[in-house]
Formats: sequence, structure tokens, C-alpha cells
Amino acid sequence: MNTSYAQLAHALQPEIILADGAVLVIAFDLIFGRHRPLATRLAASLALGALTLVAAFIASVFVGPIGGFYGESFVLDSFALATRGGVIVLALLTLGVAAGAKVMRNPAEYVALILFATTGFTLMAAANHLLIAFASLELASLSLYLLAGFDKDRRESAEAGLKYFLLGALATAFLLFGFSLIYGMTGELALPRIAAVLAQCGMSPLPALALVMVMVAFGFKAAAAPFHLWAPDAYEGAPTPSAALIASASKLAGFTLFTRLLWPGLGALAGDSSHALNPGGWITIVVLLAGASLLIGNLAALAQTNLRRLLAYSAIAHAGVMMLGVVTASLAGPGPLFYYLFTYGIATAGAFGVIAVLERNGGCQKITDLAGLSRRSPLLAGTLAIFILSLAGIPPLAGFFGKFTFFALMLRIGGIASPTGALTLLAIALSAVSLYYYLVVLKQALVEPFASEKPTRIHVPAATALTLLAATALIIGLGLCPSLLLTFF
Amino acid sequence: MSPFVSLPLALVCAADFLRVDLNSYLYLSALLFAIGFFGVLLRKNTLVIYMCLELMLVAATVALVAFSRYNGTMDGNVFVFFILTVAAAEVAVGLAIIVALFRRRQTIQVEELNALKN
Repeated sequence: MNTSYAQLAHALQPEIILADGAVLVIAFDLIFGRHRPLATRLAASLALGALTLVAAFIASVFVGPIGGFYGESFVLDSFALATRGGVIVLALLTLGVAAGAKVMRNPAEYVALILFATTGFTLMAAANHLLIAFASLELASLSLYLLAGFDKDRRESAEAGLKYFLLGALATAFLLFGFSLIYGMTGELALPRIAAVLAQCGMSPLPALALVMVMVAFGFKAAAAPFHLWAPDAYEGAPTPSAALIASASKLAGFTLFTRLLWPGLGALAGDSSHALNPGGWITIVVLLAGASLLIGNLAALAQTNLRRLLAYSAIAHAGVMMLGVVTASLAGPGPLFYYLFTYGIATAGAFGVIAVLERNGGCQKITDLAGLSRRSPLLAGTLAIFILSLAGIPPLAGFFGKFTFFALMLRIGGIASPTGALTLLAIALSAVSLYYYLVVLKQALVEPFASEKPTRIHVPAATALTLLAATALIIGLGLCPSLLLTFF
Repeated sequence: MSPFVSLPLALVCAADFLRVDLNSYLYLSALLFAIGFFGVLLRKNTLVIYMCLELMLVAATVALVAFSRYNGTMDGNVFVFFILTVAAAEVAVGLAIIVALFRRRQTIQVEELNALKN
């Protein structure tokens, strides 16, 4: 076993930069920011945080795909590398959202926590060992719980943080128990060696129990029904930039981690998805989670009047589509899955960016608060339209291409008449349903007049405007040329 | 036989009789996990829910140590150290959130946490 610390330090340069940057942000604020106004301290922290993220991104490109290292405990293949870059880009978008959001007390700690969470995400992308997976997932999750409960002036924030924390910790306990059972069956913690042992012994009650435990944890972390109950509360109560990070980067990293755990690690227990009634294996559970999330997410979103809760239920519905992507990852590789997760993350983070600016200018809870947005700020209305249409899956935006690929791949598994084909038809039908609630949002933003006679203009901070425009450009560009990302795999 | 000889012998026999096999540890671990899980579902006080969560982590710890001994590798024992460390960090985060909540709401009963709704 090759365990060279020099190689480890070389390959984990982005993580080292991120953790150092987080400490630097706090130290800088402590030394220079003590008697300055909050807005100045926030701007300095955001600038330092953005510099750190850019440096980490360059370092991650510079390290490149080097395969497994440190005794196969980590792996840097193209999937891991793409996710690493992807979460760093999404964290940058989150900082842009934070620049336009309500200024909170302790801005430096907030930025530092975002950087720590990003460190956890990038490690999750590279984890190839149960211990690394657990430790990185917890680094990310603990930072996210704090980010959700960070706004001490609003009572909703603490409540959202507590609900997210309790259900997240429950998921962690399930995951750990599942991990301990996997370790007990195979005697190994590294995923390649677990796969080698599992290939020899088939399915029995103990692996089935371990699988159920791991899948419950996956459902919680991905906010898939029936484990989705924390998501609407967390999205509604958390500070807007935190909600953007929870919705975008945490999803990307979580799905990468679990896809790696399920396909290369537990692939021997996958079962046969084309087999009609008894696939036997975790594909059954993933398909059930996908169907439940699609149904509950899309139907419950129809009844929402709160914009953030609507985005949360839309996230649950999208988690269902992503689960289809996990099933098809064996057919087409992780490329389409990454494409979908990344473009979904950009669109959601962008939508939360618009909400953040509106919230600073008088609040944005109900969907009707969007009324007259096109008169008040054409920039916000235009970018929001692009994000929402991409979430709905309208061509030529990026959301359409991702969904289309998954559906085509699912139909290729077993044809229209099989259970997977039926699930695909359900997903297509529910996409049409989802169009309704997305268009309700757009109708408010683009068509409805402002409540009072004279609509007030909304001032958008330069950093946030730049972020929103960059996100829009990414959505349109990746939608027109998906191969820009897909050739990477 | 003199009592000086028979006492250690008796102890050895008792130890052999008391030797616990892997399954017993797993039953204990599953029991702890179930108690913790139902505690989380049924209790109303946030602090008690939180203690039940810790119990679930301990259940995983027991299983890991038992499996580590059974498999003859140290990996499970090392894993336990990480779980203990992470659980300590989780205490810090969890209690911080509970304190922040109590300051705003003067309650930690879950049924009174209903500010977030559609």
C-alpha cells in the first residue's frame, strides 16, 4: 500500500488552500475589522473568500486527474475533478449571493463557514474510503447546520437550523450503522476492496440491512421523499446564501459521494434493473425514492404560496430526477449526472440570488411579492426568468438537456413496457405538471403590475449583478453546447 | 485441591462461560440503535432527542469495535476514534443551535417549533 504524505499534500492542495483561507478570513477580520462598519467587514471577507476559492480552483486544475492515491483512500478521476471544480464555482456563486443579501452580524465567520463547507464538499468528491466519506460528509454537514442557523436576529433561522441539524444527525447515525455493517461483512473500509469482497458473496439479509441504512441516509441528505421533510423548513428559514449553498453545492457533492459509494463500491449489490418484478438490490430502493420524490415534490409544489418553499419542493422533485441519473450512471458514466447536478445548482443558486436582493429591499416571502419585478428591476426579472425556465426544463436552456438525457437513458434500460419505462413516463408527465408552478412564478414577476402606483427601483449590488449574469451565461452556454462539459469525461 | 489453585481455575472457567460471541454484541448494538431511533421519533424535548441521537452513534461504535475484533483488523477501532471526535464537534454545533433557539423562543419543545409553514 502506497501511503506517501508528499503525494497526499500535493493532491489535496485545494483543500489546504480552502482551510487556510477560512482561517485567514477570520484572522483578518479580527485584526483589521474590529472598529469598522459591518458592510466594510463583509466586503473584505467576501473578497478574501472569493480569492481563496479562485486559488483553490486553479490548484485543482493544476493537480489534474491523478487517479487513486494514499493507498486508494482517495481518488481523483474525471468525475471527482469535475465535482471539485463544480462545488468551488457554486460556492463562488454563493458568495455573490451573500454580497447582495441582508448584512448579518459576524460576516467573517459566515464566509469562513462557507469555505469550510466547501472543503468538505471537495473532500467528498475525492473520497474513496468509508472513513474519508464519513469525515468529509460531517465537515460539510456541520458547517451547513451552522450556516442555516446563522441569522440570530430572525427566529425562523434558528428553527430551520435545528430542524436541519436534528434530521441530518439522524441521517448520519443511519449512515454510520450502515457503514459498520458493511465493514463487518467485508472486513474492509476502502471502496475498491469492499467491491472485490462483495463480488464473491451475493445478497443476504445482512447486506440488505446495510443497504437500507445507507439508502435512508442518502434519502435524507439528498432531500428525496419520504425523507424530505426538513427541506422546505430549512429553505424557508435559513439565510438566503445558506439556502443557496444547501440547494446547490451540497447536492452536487452528496450525489457524487453516494454515486461513488453505490456504483464502484456496492455495485455487486445493485441488482438487475431491466428485470421486471424482482430486480433485487439497491436499484429497487433508488427507483422507489425517485418515484416518491417526483410525485410528492411536484404535487406539493402546486399548493405553495411561499417562494422559498416552492423552490424546496422543486428541489425534491429534481432529487427524483437525479435519482434516475444515479440508476443510469452505469450506462453512460457519471457525465450526464454531473451535468444535471451542476446546471441545476447554478439555476437554484441564481434564483436564491434574486430572492436575496429582493429580501434586502423589503422582503420576499410570498410568490405575490414578485409582482411588478420587471418594472422594478429588469435585470432581476430577466435572470430569474432564465433560471426558472431552466429549472422547468425548457429548451435550449441547460435544464432541458440534462432531463432529456436521463429520460432517454432510462428508456434504453428496459423499453417503455418495463417498470423503468413506466417511471420515465411518470417523470415526463410530472415535468408537464411542474411547468404550471414555475410559470406561476414567472407570471408574477413578468406580467403582474406592482401593488402601489409608483414602483420603486431596486438597486442591485455590482458583485451580485455580475454573479447573476455569469450564472445566466453558464445556463445558456451549457444548454447550447453541453459537450463543453461532457467531453471532459 | 487447595483453594489457592481452585480460585484461578474457577475464574478461567467463569471467563470461558461468560465469553461473549459476536452476535451478542450485534444484538446489543441493534437494541441501542432502536432505543435511540424511537427516542428521536417519540420524545418532545430537543435535548432528549439529541441524547437519543448520540445513543444511535454509540450503537454504531459498539458494532464497529465488535466487527473489528471479529475481522482481526484495526480499521474499525480507528474509525471509532473519528466517530468520537465528530460526535464531540456535533455536540458543539447542536448545543449552539439549541441555545440560539432558546434565546429567541424561550422554549426547546419541538411541538412549539411551528414558525415555518406555508
